This record gives sequence, C-alpha cells and structure tokens, in this order.
Amino acid sequence: MFGFLMGEALRDLRRAGRVAVSAILLVTLSLAALGGFWLVSANLDRAVGRWRDRVRIIVYLKREPAEADLPQLLERVHAVPGVASAVYVSRADALRALKQVLGKDAAVVDSLPTNPLPSSVEVTPAATAATPSAAHQLVERLEALPEVEEVAGGVDWVERLSQWQRLLTTIGLGVGAVLALAAILTVTTATTLVVHARRRETEIMRLVGAPELTIRLPLLLQGMLQGLAGAVLALAALSAMYSVVAPRIEPLVSLTLGLPRLAFLTPLNLLALTLAGALLGALGGWLARGGREA
Amino acid sequence: MIELHRVSKVYAVGPVKVPALCDVSFRIDKGEFVVLAGPSGAGKTTLLRLLYRAEPPSDGEVEVFGQDVGTLRRAQVAALRRSIGVVFQDAKLLPVRTVYENVAFVLRVLGTPRRDITARVFDALRVVGLSSRAQAYPAQLSQGEAQRAALARAIVRKPPLLLADEPTGSLDDAMAAEVFEVLRDIWTGGTTVVLATHQRRVAVALRRRTLALEAGRVVKDEG
Repeated sequence: MFGFLMGEALRDLRRAGRVAVSAILLVTLSLAALGGFWLVSANLDRAVGRWRDRVRIIVYLKREPAEADLPQLLERVHAVPGVASAVYVSRADALRALKQVLGKDAAVVDSLPTNPLPSSVEVTPAATAATPSAAHQLVERLEALPEVEEVAGGVDWVERLSQWQRLLTTIGLGVGAVLALAAILTVTTATTLVVHARRRETEIMRLVGAPELTIRLPLLLQGMLQGLAGAVLALAALSAMYSVVAPRIEPLVSLTLGLPRLAFLTPLNLLALTLAGALLGALGGWLARGGREA
Repeated sequence: MIELHRVSKVYAVGPVKVPALCDVSFRIDKGEFVVLAGPSGAGKTTLLRLLYRAEPPSDGEVEVFGQDVGTLRRAQVAALRRSIGVVFQDAKLLPVRTVYENVAFVLRVLGTPRRDITARVFDALRVVGLSSRAQAYPAQLSQGEAQRAALARAIVRKPPLLLADEPTGSLDDAMAAEVFEVLRDIWTGGTTVVLATHQRRVAVALRRRTLALEAGRVVKDEG
C-alpha cells in the first residue's frame, strides 16, 4: 500500500512540474540560509565558550606577601563567592612571564633598575560568575580585601561576543522563518495544482470508499518529497560552500576569535535540517486546498 | 436492502428552493434488478446520489444495507461506499492509465494485497468482455468499451449493490445493448442492480421492475 501511495506521490510531483521545482528551490534557499547562520552561530558559540574558559581576573596586591602568609591569603581569596580557583603570581614570576611575551625584545626588561611589576593573584571565575553582573560583583568583593591594590579584568567583552552570537542566531531564525513561510506557500501552491490535476483520481477514490488518509497521503507525501529534495540540496550547497570558504577564512578566524578550525554542522544538526525540510514540505502539502470536497 | 421513507430533496439555488425529489418511498430487495425510468430532470440522478450518500436527504429516511445513510459520518460513508459500485454516463476513466490500471486502481486504494489484484482485475474484465483490451488507454476505446471498463471497475470489488446512472446515455443502440447484456450478467451473478435511464424503450425491453419518476415523484412502480 505504501509503495502505491509513494508511486502516486511521485506521479503528482511530475504533474506539478515547474511549480514543484520552484518549491524545492525555495526550501533549499530557506534551509541553506538557516543552516548558514546556524554554522556561523555555532562557531561563534564555540569561540565564546573557549574565551569564557580563559577569562581571568587579576588581583594586584599592595605588597608582596611573606611566604608564611601566602596560604592564608589564597584561602581567603578562594573563599570569595564566585571564585573557582586562585593562583599566586609573584613579582619574579610576573617578570619572567613578561620576558616570555616580549621574546627577542626581553633584553629591554634587563635594563630596568628594579622589577616594576606587582605581585598578584590570578583568579578563575566560577561558571556562576560568568555573566557581566556576577563578574562585576566578584570584582567588588575582591577589591574589598585589605591586601588588594587593584582588580583588573572581567567578562564584558566575552559577553559582547555572546550578544553578537545571539543576534546572529536571531537574524538567522528570522530570515529562515520568512523563507520557510515562502517555501510552505509555494509547496501549497504546487500541491493545489496537483489536487486539481488529480481530481478524477480523488473522485474515484471517494466514490469507492477509500479512507480519507489514503486520499490525503499522496498529497502529503509529494509535499514531503519536495521538502526532502530541498533539504538535500541545501545540505549539499552548505557542504560545498564550507569546503571552499572555510580553509580560506580559518587563519583570520584563528587570529580574531582564537578558533584554530571552523567546525561544520554536527550530524544531529544535519538531521534536524533534513527533518525541517520534510516538515515544511509536509505542511505545505497538508495545507493545500481542495482535497476535502465531499 | 434499500428502503426510502418519505424522502425529499430540495436544492437551494440562491434564495430559490428547487425540489428534486418529493415524498418518495419504495423498497428494493436483495437480488432485484430495478430500472429508474423518467425524463431528464425527473430526479433519477438525485435519487442515486442519496443512495451512495453523495448528499443527505432534505427530509425522510434513506436506508441502505439497514443503515440510515443520512446520519452517517465521513468514515461510515466511506465504509458504505465500499459495498456499492457506481457507474455514470461519463465513464470517468483516468486517461493516463490503461484499462487494467484503471480497474486495479480501485483495489490498490483500498489496500488489496498486490498478489490478488491481477486475478481480480482479469475476472472483472472477463465479465465485461474486455480481457483483450487490458493494455489499451481510454482514448483508444470505443464509448461502449469505455463504459464496460467503468463497469469492470465498479464490480471488481464484487459489491452487493450496483448503481448505474444513465450508463448508455451516450451510446448507440448496439453499444447500449452490449452494456445491458453486461449489466444482466452482473445481476445474474447475484448483484442487486439499480439502473437509471431516460430511455423508456430500454426500460420496457429489459422487462424488469420499473420505478417511473416524474418531477421528483414516483408515479409508477410496475413489473
């Protein structure tokens, strides 16, 4: 029975002709737009995640603590709510790190009469302190410690990156939704033509007492086939675009966002896009008018 | 098998009410061959449409197989129609399918197992004398052959009731005779047949029970 209904659906698809092709192309466009934004957004999300992990708050100390006081100081810093870990960086350690950063220009540091760098405690915020307001509160708490001269750092810029990512996701969903609506309407138009073309079949089916589902299913299936074809084309286009564009922009992305490689959509994402295509098509097929006369 | 109690049907054409059937009552028993005779507009087609529940009566009760068809829901209507074969003046064959495919189409939409379809289609084609034309397309058939193909499609499910609405209306006498012969064969096979025709001489020639309709009323029930 399913084979017969699928055969009817394929026959209907051929009948719809150019309108069906338009519908397939619109599904392709909408899913390619959705998938494209999703791809960019997912990579931005990865960058945000990586940068969140790397966020450090530097607590500069008024004076270098005595070695005996150090464990107690670290314990008090660790006890501040929102602190995940705390590492002491002595003035000598800070100077060594600076030399490493300067590389071949490190000799400049040797010409200094004294070490100008303060000792500090490098604080990794807990996940609960990753939002701008929580990070701000954490900074205020750390500043309140008597040994502290100044507190530097925060999550504001990471949050801004995250906001960009959310904005991009919203734009992607908006563009995808508009194109998806156009795709549904086109599938509906194609199916309406099919309904008109197969009115004799429908008449015979009703006359012999075919169940309503058997009458409607070929329409639903041909809509679904249009959606699936559109989804497959969209995934092929996305994959081709990724393989061409990604190698060219990866150095720039690595420099600006710190992502060594751009990731393609996951198999689950691809499955979701394919199902979305099938669903768009099925909805268009189901909404077609004229299939329910007595 | 069929019982009508004071059935009326009125169509509303804008504000105007047009009566198609007025206070019609009769009974048809299983195994009968009944001719509905009358001129165009007498209400024959409307009466047949009420029997296979293409529309409900405006008043009265239409009983088919013991069910009041006026009160049936969509799924029940479909179930009722699975027991009724219907043919029209226009054979209503699907033009892009062969005779075989047209007849098989009915079985396929009703979920008949694939292995049974070929045998049943050829059984039906044999009854109407079209076995040799199975692979012909409707455009390649004469009008008489097309009507016989429509009959094969109507009987392929072996329905206990066959409704024929002017099946010979557009045929010449020779072709009409062929169709009547087929209808007679179907009837002798045990199927109850209700045949609507405006050709008075057909009704007379068939020598079966005849319900004469005029202006929506049964004016004679004889034979």
